[in-house]
Amino acid sequence: MRRDIFQAIADPTRRGIIALLAIQAMTPNALAEHFDTSRQAVSKHLKILTECELVSQEQYGREIVYSLEIEKMKEIDKWLERYRKIWETRYEQLDALLAELKQKEKKERKK
Amino acid sequence: MKPAEVSTPSDEEVLIKRSFDAPVSLVWNAYTEPELMRRWLTAMPGWSMPVCEMTTNVGGEYRWRWRDDANGVEFGFTGEMLEVALHSRIVHTQLYDPGTMGGSMGDGPSIITVRFDETDGITNVATSIKFASKSDRDAAVSTGMTDGMEMSYKQLDEVLAVMNVQTPAV
Repeated sequence: MRRDIFQAIADPTRRGIIALLAIQAMTPNALAEHFDTSRQAVSKHLKILTECELVSQEQYGREIVYSLEIEKMKEIDKWLERYRKIWETRYEQLDALLAELKQKEKKERKK
Repeated sequence: MKPAEVSTPSDEEVLIKRSFDAPVSLVWNAYTEPELMRRWLTAMPGWSMPVCEMTTNVGGEYRWRWRDDANGVEFGFTGEMLEVALHSRIVHTQLYDPGTMGGSMGDGPSIITVRFDETDGITNVATSIKFASKSDRDAAVSTGMTDGMEMSYKQLDEVLAVMNVQTPAV
């Protein structure tokens, strides 16, 4: 499931679609106007995004409108946060080490 | 100190920034002397760093290896020092060494650039991780999200390289 999210955002056009849908729900035609690729290509990307549950579709009369699944996007945020935490844990260890080294230097100067 | 800032300036790059309350000479030592590196270069409880070979000679090679002391599983990184400017800059390649943990991170090495910059006893450190190619990155994305994710932060590196997605401001 998670793997799908990252595959979904690995493509620049799909990232563009996500950015546009973050602003408002749109039809495939309206989305296609923002890209140089064909309407078919945009549909293919929307299909992948739908399979990854990053976007959902709703039928309005004859039109299909796509919107972004914010909760799913938050999963990506969580990964970024996790990564930040790994680095932060290291850096906190480094903080402690540096404080110790500073102390040692001070003592040596006094000698 | 303010927590680390992580951003993805381009498709292939991850940038981590952090400040430290120490002069650059000490930060530099912590980044280059194995006995000091071992003290902080682990981020996972229960893991040790049995191999920590480091060099500040350009063209020299380094070798780091971590071990999960609970089950003996190991992985690491190796690479070559490309640029070393005392108290200012370290650039090196980085290749994943699967050890007994396994996994592959694509063919090409990534390039790590660490910049140090001191103002009034505070040292700012900016670490850039640049992946070899889009295909390396994509390969890592498809394999990197399976098992062992938590252990292998290298895999996380690769995943994050694709994350320059605009998070919706909702």
